[in-house]
Amino acid sequence: MRVVAKPIDVIAKFNKEGIPTPIKFKITGEDEAEVTIKVERVITRDLEKLAGNKMFVFRCQSVINGGEKIYELKYGLETCKWMLFKI
Amino acid sequence: MKQNRIIFHIDVNSAYLSWEAVYRLQNGASLDLRTIPSAVGGDPKSRHGIILAKSIPAKQYNIQTGETLHTALQKCPNLHIVSPSYGLYMQCSDAMMKLLEEYSPVIQRFSVDEVFLDYTDMEGHWGDPIAMAHKIKDRIKEELGFTVSIGISSNKLLAKMGSDLKKPDAVTTVFPEEIARKIWPLPVEDLFYVGRATLPKLNKMGIYTIGDLANYDYEHIKYRLKSHGALIWNYSHGQEASPVRGGKHVDIKGIGNSSTIAFDVEDRITACRILLALTETVAMRLRHTENVCGLVAISLRDSELRNYSHQRKLFSPTDCTKEIFEIVTELFDEAWKGEPLRNLGVRVSELSSNELQQKSLFDDVDQERNRALDHAIDQLRLRYGSKAIMKATFLNSGVKSMIGGVGADDYPMMASLL
Repeated sequence: MRVVAKPIDVIAKFNKEGIPTPIKFKITGEDEAEVTIKVERVITRDLEKLAGNKMFVFRCQSVINGGEKIYELKYGLETCKWMLFKI
Repeated sequence: MKQNRIIFHIDVNSAYLSWEAVYRLQNGASLDLRTIPSAVGGDPKSRHGIILAKSIPAKQYNIQTGETLHTALQKCPNLHIVSPSYGLYMQCSDAMMKLLEEYSPVIQRFSVDEVFLDYTDMEGHWGDPIAMAHKIKDRIKEELGFTVSIGISSNKLLAKMGSDLKKPDAVTTVFPEEIARKIWPLPVEDLFYVGRATLPKLNKMGIYTIGDLANYDYEHIKYRLKSHGALIWNYSHGQEASPVRGGKHVDIKGIGNSSTIAFDVEDRITACRILLALTETVAMRLRHTENVCGLVAISLRDSELRNYSHQRKLFSPTDCTKEIFEIVTELFDEAWKGEPLRNLGVRVSELSSNELQQKSLFDDVDQERNRALDHAIDQLRLRYGSKAIMKATFLNSGVKSMIGGVGADDYPMMASLL
């Protein structure tokens, strides 16, 4: 996996404890075209506290371009922004 | 106080730089600032400002904390410079405090990147202090992403010296029986409270290491340096007994801001504008702490880097921007010799609570109205930012309406008292 740190649009569900789970996200590809990817499986969820900055880190799996891919999404609790961190 | 205390001193390694590096990595930066010659400070675009923290690779270029970006870039042209973000540093400091609070109820935030933790009587609960210090250090590294050095001893002075002995990412003990071996060989200027004024005096007496000082005759040093001599002699023997001051309260002794100007200030009007902008910040901070000041001081540095200052005690304490600025201009007119200035500073001290104040016959008749005005301006600035409202003199003057002021000032960069 390689760090890309690209901002993404996300549809997520939040449970009663306030913990989000990503459902699908939209990313602008290199050719400016928008691609929507469904999050098929969330493998792990961690709360990262680096530099005191809280972020949820989701390790997920989806079929992208016909192949299974594992990637990481991050959600910043302070900024409320999602990003595709690693793929 | 208890005889056998155990005190930790936790010191973040190149704090600002590590915090900046960790935050950037977390947000997808491809390179770790800690692994290249880099520094935090000033504004990389205008190349104005001073170095606040540097990476270990930058140390090889002999880059010093406090020197200007200009001289630093001469030493190392590819030095990577980033602007400071004090909000982030407070957040990192808070996160570290929160983690440490799990281990002891008595914690003192000595500065934004240094903490004392009283581990006395905690062995029963947490076990051996050295093992625990390693655990704390590793947890900070794992969870928060930066490294710390921990010094362990029976008082704050020795714990602080211990954390300085080995870094980064280390635990060092300096118990009283280890002083002779670990502390005495160090140069005497490494001792707390031996600064650039005391050092030449000690050198003249043939004292170059802390050990020299410790083995010097106590009566003689007390005779030569008075109570300060007694203090540092005791320090050289590791004798210091101040408690770890818990709680979040920090005794503020004074509030000040200063700014190094990008050009030489040669006329009185510009100098006064800069002083006014500094006074605005200082007075607002003063009111924020709910104090009034009894002393106003200015400091000036000319283009030859000569410093001088001038101060005055007030007849009646105040927190009013207008009153403070009137004194600042008086002081400036008395002190300034007409040479080009590079750095100006305003400082207030002798603080006391603003709750009760003695009225005097000579108070400004508009005092109540000025106070209401200050209050209204503070509220506007807090809500809409410091540029929301400004004095008309700053219009088109090229001088910012408020100068100075960083989040880290809530805690002193380095406390002067243990």
